[in-house]
Amino acid sequence: MSSSIRFKIIIYLVIGILAALLLRLYFLQVISGEIFAEMASENISRRTSIAAPRGNIYDRNGKLIVKSIPVSAIAAQPHILLQSDEAIELLGDYLDIPAADIREKLENSNISYLERVFLKTGIDKPTMIRIKENSDRLPGVEIVDIYLREYNYGVLGSHILGYTGEIDRERLASELYSGDYSGGDQIGLTGLEEKYESMLRGEKGEIVYEVDPIGRPVRVIEERPPVSGNDLYLTIDIDLQKITEEILFDQIMKVREKTLKNSDEHYIVPGGAVVVLSAKNGEVLSIASFPTYDPGIFSGGISPQDWAHLNDTGNYFPLNNRAIMSYAPGSVFKVVTAYSGLEENIVSEYSTTTCNGIWYGLGSDFPKLCWRKSGHGSLSIRAAIKNSCDIYFYTVGYGLFVKMDNIEELLQKYSKMFGFGQKTGIDLPSEDEGRVPDREWKKEYFADRIENTVWFPGDTVNMSIGQGDLLVTPLQMAVAYSTIANRGIQYEPHLVKEIRDPYGDVHIGGAASSWKDIELNEYYLEIIEDGLDMVTGPGGTAAYTFRNFPTGQIPIAGKTGTVEVYGKQDYAWFASYGPIGNPEYIVVVMLEQAGGGGSNASPIAEKIYRYLFGLDQ
Amino acid sequence: MYNSNEKKYDSLIDDLSFSRGRRKIKFDILFLLAVLILASFGVLIIYSATRSLVPGGVTDPQYYLKRQAIFLGAGVLLFSALQFINYRRIKDLWWIPAIIGLLSLGAVLVFGYEVHGSKSWIDLGLFPIQPSEFAKIFMIITLSAILSKRRSEKANHISFKKVIFSGVAAVIFIVLVLLEPDFGTALIFLVIFIGMLFISGANFFYVLAALAITAGGFIGALQMGIIKQYQLDRILIFLRPEVSIGGAGYNLYQSKIAIGSGGLTGKGLFLGVNTNLNYVPEHHTDFIFSVIGEELGFIGGFFVIALLGFIIWKCFHIASGSDNSFGMLMASGVGFMLLIQVVINIGMTIGIMPIIGIPLPFLSSGGSSLISTFFGMALVSNVYIYREERRDHEIAYDDFSDEI
Repeated sequence: MSSSIRFKIIIYLVIGILAALLLRLYFLQVISGEIFAEMASENISRRTSIAAPRGNIYDRNGKLIVKSIPVSAIAAQPHILLQSDEAIELLGDYLDIPAADIREKLENSNISYLERVFLKTGIDKPTMIRIKENSDRLPGVEIVDIYLREYNYGVLGSHILGYTGEIDRERLASELYSGDYSGGDQIGLTGLEEKYESMLRGEKGEIVYEVDPIGRPVRVIEERPPVSGNDLYLTIDIDLQKITEEILFDQIMKVREKTLKNSDEHYIVPGGAVVVLSAKNGEVLSIASFPTYDPGIFSGGISPQDWAHLNDTGNYFPLNNRAIMSYAPGSVFKVVTAYSGLEENIVSEYSTTTCNGIWYGLGSDFPKLCWRKSGHGSLSIRAAIKNSCDIYFYTVGYGLFVKMDNIEELLQKYSKMFGFGQKTGIDLPSEDEGRVPDREWKKEYFADRIENTVWFPGDTVNMSIGQGDLLVTPLQMAVAYSTIANRGIQYEPHLVKEIRDPYGDVHIGGAASSWKDIELNEYYLEIIEDGLDMVTGPGGTAAYTFRNFPTGQIPIAGKTGTVEVYGKQDYAWFASYGPIGNPEYIVVVMLEQAGGGGSNASPIAEKIYRYLFGLDQ
Repeated sequence: MYNSNEKKYDSLIDDLSFSRGRRKIKFDILFLLAVLILASFGVLIIYSATRSLVPGGVTDPQYYLKRQAIFLGAGVLLFSALQFINYRRIKDLWWIPAIIGLLSLGAVLVFGYEVHGSKSWIDLGLFPIQPSEFAKIFMIITLSAILSKRRSEKANHISFKKVIFSGVAAVIFIVLVLLEPDFGTALIFLVIFIGMLFISGANFFYVLAALAITAGGFIGALQMGIIKQYQLDRILIFLRPEVSIGGAGYNLYQSKIAIGSGGLTGKGLFLGVNTNLNYVPEHHTDFIFSVIGEELGFIGGFFVIALLGFIIWKCFHIASGSDNSFGMLMASGVGFMLLIQVVINIGMTIGIMPIIGIPLPFLSSGGSSLISTFFGMALVSNVYIYREERRDHEIAYDDFSDEI
């Protein structure tokens, strides 16, 4: 082969090879160029969200209760920080967290590799400066501005407001938080913070950065500022809230000093609740629940010690909002029995029943006692309410049972009409429904004990005085008394008056002043009101409490209740509204294991009325 | 007649007088132009690749620009200086470059320092050099001298003795480079040798035998564990880059993104974000073509490949036009050197060649590579300048093998 042929071969080889390179280049750049262009821009950009300030919460008079304050938090990108033991050690040193804990938190984060894990919120200036200065030694560590809650009134209203905290993994994975949520976000976990989460949270901003291969921002490509959340204006009067909580606290402390009759045993009074509603429109003016807690301890993550304290049974669960938990109502429920009796003609305005202290209506083997062993003598309905005579209401309950219990359970029907056995619809999460027991319920509830599944007349009789299996929340009771006060108009209780967006535009809360007419007989309600009026008057069960109250000018309709709870001390209730004639307020008090409602619960209501009507100034 | 000719070319005095202007020096202008344009373009691209994020802890954004410009100047100076010496004079002095090449490769094994696991750099105090870059040229000169024909020899025939001799010389060069170890550069040496063997007119059997021995040696090295499986995997990752985007395939993945995103016209000079942000490692050296692809698109890549192709073609064209086999082999050797480096380097950045760290001639940042490339260009140009003019190209071409 001559050399010219060899050169020809080489030249063809060169041309072939270079053509192959060009073809490949053409494929990469011209044919698939757009795909690569997209990959290229994704490759080098990182999105970082900017926290939005959560909306403020104001009371009905515009007093700022809860606000958002910016704080610095330390966050880290797990996939970067985890590569350096040295950096983790250093960071642990700065943040005063054991390195092993940081490592664990990073490893368990399980989030997308572009996201951050919050290691500590609310760091102080010196720490921040140290971290900033050593950022080269702390790859993947960022200082992020977030917002935390600050409470101008400390513990006041904590059960209403609720608390916020970092979103957890379960929530992140759930449908409810499928929107624009990511790890490290502060969300409302209880109370109004939870209920109005979507209103309060605002809209996160976003910065799109161009970053170098080790994640350092090089240039901002796009920036969208965050939008503040909406502000809530509550129906709560924070001053009244303060008074309510103080009065509840003082009274509980006082009752704890007292001993049971003929015993050295003190009342335990683990908890109590007070509900104050506006009689005009269902606005909640205050809700107190004892014991209480400081929502501020949740800001930036609650310490394990605080969490243990809140969950220690010895502390009676301060996180519970007792105003929306269920209890046996006892005698405060008798208004429902009274109305049912009148409406169903079991009793009439002037018909009387004689109380000898004992009643054999269920047969001689089942004697039922009145709370007053000596008996009340002959009573009409007004006096029966005034004296809270059990036997009068036994006969009503029995009469209701006999009338048409196998067709329609009458007492249950009226109970439900008054709002029991269902949520009131207050804008708070985790409200109890309570329980209105009936045949159906009993069959299900005691399914494993056949002998208990039958509804007995005694069950209706027990229920007629608010005992037995009936359970109600203090808030439900307040709504029931509000219905009496408003002659059948039933307002849905609510806490939010207005929602204002950051531009000042007002959005009325969805729950505002929603009501229904349950069409009650006004005259019967007046009869009951007469009885309730007499409760706070001379000889009534709350007479002692209201002895110095100007009931002549400001007549208060009230009802005491003392509930026997198996294995526990008596629960004390007082449900009321006033002034009669032009009702303005509903006040319901419930104290756990605190003895008589007349002696121990009603003083709280009396003091609240004194404040509300300005009697002490 | 031949003898007198030989005497003439072997006479130093003749050459000196020659350079003093008794005869006009005739350059291949297009060839020179292509070389200068490409190398200048390289300086510009290196500036683009290094100005925003300067590698190596340097603060001056023009550091690499200045450096490469100086190297280019040195290259041009070396090129010019070498034009005054008739290459034929080197033929009998071939042992000098051979010894320099082997000594420098030996020295780097003793005094060199490691970069990326290869002991291929030696610090001369003023600046570091990579002796294997220059050794390529020295080997080309050595092999050209060994394989070149005496006039007494038959056309299209190379004696077995010469093949063995050249093979031994090539193997010594290759083994020294392998000891660094620098497999990529060793591969270039090997390709140059086989290419030159082919051009020399050696029997195809010898060429095939060289290839077979190479393959056998490679398999043997793999079997004996001299080449580790992971090293092979790393080299072959280009076949399936998606399996290891974060690992060995990272460079390739990022390089393909950068080049692909350049599209037809590119993002503009200095605007190659992906390469400039150092997403493509070694983007100013081995992966310089990624910068070209991203910033200047297919048009820029076409321009570069076309220029490189033109220069390579020129090398072989000048070789084929040479009136003696020494010049022909030398120019061809340089052509093969360029060809294999271009194919492997550009092929690597676009994912059709293994990831082997070798520079792209004229364009990759680095003095040793640029200056040795200019050294090679000087030889090719020299072969052109000192060729014997023929009256008729066709005839001369046919006569070529007989003449020598």
